[in-house]
Amino acid sequence: MAQWATLWYLRGMTLPADRLSEKDLLARMQSFHWWHSIALRPGLTTFGGKSELILAQEEEAFFGPFNFQGRSVVDIGAWNGAFSFAAKRRGAARVLATDSYIWNHPVWRGREAFELARAELGLDIEAKLVDPPDITPELGLFDVVLFLGVFYHLYDPIQVMTQLRGITRQMLLVETHSDLTNQARPGMVFYQGDILNQDPTNWWGPNPALMLSIFLQLGFTRIFYRDHPTLGRARGIYAAFLPEVEDSLILGFDENWLDLDVPGAIEGLLTP
Amino acid sequence: MNEAELRAAIQGHRWLQSLRLRPDLVTPGLKPEAELQEEEAALLDPLNLKGAHVLEVGAANGAFSFAALRRGAARVLATDHLAWTLPGSDALSATQWATHALGAGLEMAPMDPRHLNAGFGSFHVVMATACFDQLFNPIQALRGIRSVTERVLLLETAQDGLDDARPLMMAHGRMMPIGGPEGSWVSGWGPNPPLMTQLLNDLGFNRILYRSHPRLGSARGLYAALLPDAPDGLLEGFHSPWISLTHPQG
Repeated sequence: MAQWATLWYLRGMTLPADRLSEKDLLARMQSFHWWHSIALRPGLTTFGGKSELILAQEEEAFFGPFNFQGRSVVDIGAWNGAFSFAAKRRGAARVLATDSYIWNHPVWRGREAFELARAELGLDIEAKLVDPPDITPELGLFDVVLFLGVFYHLYDPIQVMTQLRGITRQMLLVETHSDLTNQARPGMVFYQGDILNQDPTNWWGPNPALMLSIFLQLGFTRIFYRDHPTLGRARGIYAAFLPEVEDSLILGFDENWLDLDVPGAIEGLLTP
Repeated sequence: MNEAELRAAIQGHRWLQSLRLRPDLVTPGLKPEAELQEEEAALLDPLNLKGAHVLEVGAANGAFSFAALRRGAARVLATDHLAWTLPGSDALSATQWATHALGAGLEMAPMDPRHLNAGFGSFHVVMATACFDQLFNPIQALRGIRSVTERVLLLETAQDGLDDARPLMMAHGRMMPIGGPEGSWVSGWGPNPPLMTQLLNDLGFNRILYRSHPRLGSARGLYAALLPDAPDGLLEGFHSPWISLTHPQG
């Protein structure tokens, strides 16, 4: 037990008051469908559709260039919470995890799964049921807004991007499925039914030129891009900054990132 | 208003549309009178507007609203957003002068189509020309437009992505002579017909007809979208080159 307490202390967490036995925890874990593979205890990792390895690669790709120390972060579409937990572990002062579709879904039961992970990890993270189209400035202003894997799940992503601008203080970080990557002109493809990955909740595939155009029109002044760490150009990661961004938020971009709003950047991303 | 005042007012405004206010007096608009007449015929000839309540979204200087009144509409409400509300824009004032000059009973109201809802009223026919061209968010605007449409939506728009069978839209932008002295950069979209069919269908329009622009061809598209409550008889005026996108055999 002392070893456990030391481990939790080192990870900056608080020990849950009513810890489940390993057997009970395993049973609870098995009662949910997980998307995120999250290590809740040594040897006990949730059985997510996305592996720990991929999540670790994504976390480094998404968060590596930034210093979250002391910042406020909101995670729009948190699902099981892996990136909310990661933001907290990286020093964010306040993290608000939000979701709606998955958290309310009768099969995914995402909120219950998130709550189990949050309790087990003992992380001080807020949670709120929020459907992205319902986001208003009343949610608050956040230094960092995470919008990871959500854009293409929205019938009207333009409206939600507008609303996200209203809650962003410094940086909006977007990860999305991409399409029309052979086009330098901005555009997006609409997916009828379950055409994209047999998933009827997939609606739009934008290209980098369109994302750049939307960010600029919403008032973001610097936009950086990188390919997904494992899926390449099929998915894009965008870090969009408002003029008010603090220099200390950015640790530095490695060679995977490029400044999207410079001549030739879009053309350099074109696929055959 | 005497003729001298009218002519001075016309010279003092920037005009988006060339409107014939007198036999020898046409406003110097961005869009020529002949092109407007061709668009009017293509868009309105298939319908009988007698007694109809008509809403125009994006009326600019009101050319199609005046046309609807000439064609017997009982009530026509012209609305616009950017052209009528951008600081420095005089398009609403120009439209008011044109209304006076024509002695037309045209109602006018600045309105962002994204904010339209059922509480705004209900119109037999809603017209929206240069529609997607000037909308940052056409998905939201279409939803608003649908909420006030009782029977038919007539929509004219720039098009793009015509060589792709998938539904898509490409973002556009251009300078418009509205707003400040240099004009304003206006952002919008060019959808392709598969996307228009999908978006209109999703909003409950169950019969969608299409034709290309009478002068500019498939660079621009004209759509007539009917709600289930619209009688089938409304379709009788839609002849070739109109085609049905929802009932290709029909």
